[in-house]
Amino acid sequence: MTLSGYEAVFFWIFGLAAIFAGLLTVMARNAVHSALFLISSLVSVAALFVLARAEFIAGVQILVYVGGVMVLFLFVIMLVNVGAEERGSEEIFNNQRQVTASLIFCLLLVGGMLYSINTGYRGLQALNPATPEVLAAQQATRDQAHQPSATGSSRITRDAESVGNSLYRYASLPFEIASVLLLVAIIGSVMLARTLKQEASVDDVDPGNAD
Amino acid sequence: MKLAAANPDLSKFLVIGALLFIIGVAGVLTRRNIIVIFMSIELILNAANLNFIAFSRYLHETGNVNAVAGQIFTVFVIVVAAAEAAIGLGIVIALYRNKETIWVDEIDLLKW
Repeated sequence: MTLSGYEAVFFWIFGLAAIFAGLLTVMARNAVHSALFLISSLVSVAALFVLARAEFIAGVQILVYVGGVMVLFLFVIMLVNVGAEERGSEEIFNNQRQVTASLIFCLLLVGGMLYSINTGYRGLQALNPATPEVLAAQQATRDQAHQPSATGSSRITRDAESVGNSLYRYASLPFEIASVLLLVAIIGSVMLARTLKQEASVDDVDPGNAD
Repeated sequence: MKLAAANPDLSKFLVIGALLFIIGVAGVLTRRNIIVIFMSIELILNAANLNFIAFSRYLHETGNVNAVAGQIFTVFVIVVAAAEAAIGLGIVIALYRNKETIWVDEIDLLKW
């Protein structure tokens, strides 16, 4: 899966952008700034998906995750007044002992994850020893085998086709369960966000007596 | 780990996923604003998605038949993340209506 040439350049650009934007999401004072940094991180990860030849998932991520979930976040941030935080008078981190303990835990997690990725990858590479040039040449032949688009400037990959083939044949039961999950989420969120007056008007109960 | 590798491979994708995950965990553990905690949870789910896609690509290149399963899993993770964000933010709105606060250390009604 080795990327080479300009793909490697784009990988480093988008990878570092995703990590940097994620870091700023956690460290920004203003909640709207956090949301916008998270949007940048999600778009960078969608670009990494395109580099990994998963174009359909990249499109789904931008449409659903950025265009749906993050817009919902921004609406809720607007509904919940955060004026004190913007003026700088509120503390944005927990108390110091908690922050220190969680940072120590995260450093241990970083060490453990990098060590395990390193060790596991050495074993994986032993199974498939090929130089990056050979892999890049194989990838180039695979890319040339796709059908060219109508204007001839790019190729039509078969990623969406293969995802659709598998999703609607072998994963059709989880697909239907996911749609039921979304229905439950819609009903639940409508119910949770109702005001006292709206609930009382449905049940014909005096709002003063509602508990 | 060799830092001089100019050709990014599966391990580089996994490292980026791991770093995003850890940044998300740090955000959940250290912030006071409940909406920023939710956004850190979205970072965690996104890092898991990156891992799935990286392995799907790797398996596709080494000729495994089930390589597209990673992308299918990613679709379901995005669905679950959207549903969880909707319900969670509904709870935040209901909580704000009752307690007028978004700071997690002030939401201590169930504390003994």
